Amino acid sequence: MVREEKVLLVGDNPFHGISHLSQERSRVRGDAPTNPEFAAKLIGISVENGADGFMFSVSEKTLSILRVLREGGVVNGLRLYAIVPYAYGYVRLAGEVGGVPGLAKRVIKEISLSGNFSAMAMGLKGLLKADLEDLVKTYLAYEVSRVRSSAGKNANLESVMLHQLVTDMCLGLGLDWFFRLYVDFMAKSGLRPGFNTGNFCLLVRRLREWGVDLGEVVVAAPFNRVGFQMVPSREDCEKALADLPGPNVFAISVLAAGYLKPVEAVEYVAGLPNIRGVAVGVSKERHARETFRLFREKLV
Amino acid sequence: MRVAVVGMGKMGLLHSSILNAIPDVEVVALCDKSFLLRRFLGKVFKGVKVFKDVNELSKADVDAVYVTTPIPSHYGVAKALYSEGIASNVFVEKTLALNFEQARELRDLAQDYGGVNMVGYVRRFAVTFREAKRLLDEGVIGEPVSFSAYAYSSEFYGVDKAAKVRVPRVGVVRDLGCYAIDLALWFFGELEVLDAEVKAVVSDRSEDSARVEVEASGGLRGEFSFSWCVDKHRMPEAGFVVEGSEGALSVNDDKLELRLKDGSVSRWFRHDLKDTVDFWLGLPEFFREDKHFVDCVVRGCSAEPSFADGAEVDRIIDEIRCRAGRYG
Repeated sequence: MVREEKVLLVGDNPFHGISHLSQERSRVRGDAPTNPEFAAKLIGISVENGADGFMFSVSEKTLSILRVLREGGVVNGLRLYAIVPYAYGYVRLAGEVGGVPGLAKRVIKEISLSGNFSAMAMGLKGLLKADLEDLVKTYLAYEVSRVRSSAGKNANLESVMLHQLVTDMCLGLGLDWFFRLYVDFMAKSGLRPGFNTGNFCLLVRRLREWGVDLGEVVVAAPFNRVGFQMVPSREDCEKALADLPGPNVFAISVLAAGYLKPVEAVEYVAGLPNIRGVAVGVSKERHARETFRLFREKLV
Repeated sequence: MRVAVVGMGKMGLLHSSILNAIPDVEVVALCDKSFLLRRFLGKVFKGVKVFKDVNELSKADVDAVYVTTPIPSHYGVAKALYSEGIASNVFVEKTLALNFEQARELRDLAQDYGGVNMVGYVRRFAVTFREAKRLLDEGVIGEPVSFSAYAYSSEFYGVDKAAKVRVPRVGVVRDLGCYAIDLALWFFGELEVLDAEVKAVVSDRSEDSARVEVEASGGLRGEFSFSWCVDKHRMPEAGFVVEGSEGALSVNDDKLELRLKDGSVSRWFRHDLKDTVDFWLGLPEFFREDKHFVDCVVRGCSAEPSFADGAEVDRIIDEIRCRAGRYG
């Protein structure tokens, strides 16, 4: 059996002030991790101790972090996994600008101001012909260009993943055409398509039904000892994982949002099949050092 | 079961997706006033009928309708569903209506027409609040003596009067505080408003924070605090601290804690309370909520929270605004 080193990624939840265990926990943690300079420093420490890259939602915050990493000469050594769209930001914006139509107008305006002429041309065509596929491609091209302009053209952007809210909403709605479109577009862009999901079993089942090659995509989904956010159950998720054709899954929420200590979490993940890597958030320098040193040592 | 969804904002999309993931349920019709949205909805949802006006839903032959439009239009849409004979199984997102007068009429219409009626007070389906309800009903903290409750978000934190931001004109009590009011009614029964204060922060005419004193049956005293201008509440959060004769219970969206007078302390996070569902979108309680409505329609039994429950929340909100001098 070939034993591969796992890809260890720094997750971005603490940098957005998120704790999926409780909001109280993120309030107690304070503002320090949300400072781009400090976040970039945490990523640097994580890399020194075994991390390979950064998994992040594309937001103004994480783009600022990428710019700091670029200025510090760190970014080109990182494997980048971007998640789009930053759903929380867009939901909040929709509330401020008058719902979904207001949001659409704002995004179109931002794309127009971005100076990405090919995206603008495709978007204009999409708008005039009410062609949804062109509009989706325009939006994805816009998000990729945001990452590249912040991280630099030489940055190693390996994958652009669909945000959990979008993946799961499209999954529930049964939008097979959207999944195929997304996979095709990313593959043509030279990027590995990916899906962040809270419904790992259902996603795997549907992708198979829709003829999407599971070997060509990566999936980020919760895997942890206590079954935190594992739907419909830990056992079902483990079985679906074991049935995959290869190691294309990134385990997220491995610490159950801080409920588990790294030493408790790593043994469980180390025993799972078909895990390509792990994304873990860190909020303190000591966390970064200890967590990635431990995960690098245990995850082979 | 064939379902139509009226109003395709974020809640319409969320419910449509969850409903479609429930076995034997199919979203067959959508309705939205926005031309732009209708144009794209028809392309996104292949095979689903898309309408501009709620009256057109009579062509879609549906078993149930979800109303997820902005609050001011709930009354008109729900009334049309009954009066036009489109469906008698109706789910309305919170709050049921814009005021008690409208809510009472919808409650009575639902009673006259039969069918299942439900209001989207989703926190009743969150594992922490469900477990809190069970512990309170079992008298684990003895007789409740007092409670304090809050509903906070950072939606408009840091937004000042110079910013061009659209604040929901229904105000913070109806938009956010309603969750805590519904939970208090569920936990403790009837409430009477003793005092209320509503403040403007974001604009001169907006209602952005509120403080309310209430009394429940048996002399239980309670306080509410609502605001959408609070820092570090990235997601809207509701919570309660209930003091009882034998201990205290504190609960919010994430955690439940029990402190008894014998010194014992118990704490549960969501996953300690088996917070798992068949399909996860947003939060697990959204799936439980929709599944409850669907099951009630299939079995022909009544759902909770019903229009009668929702109308009671609207009555309390009217009373708060009246006490605070905010009623037009």
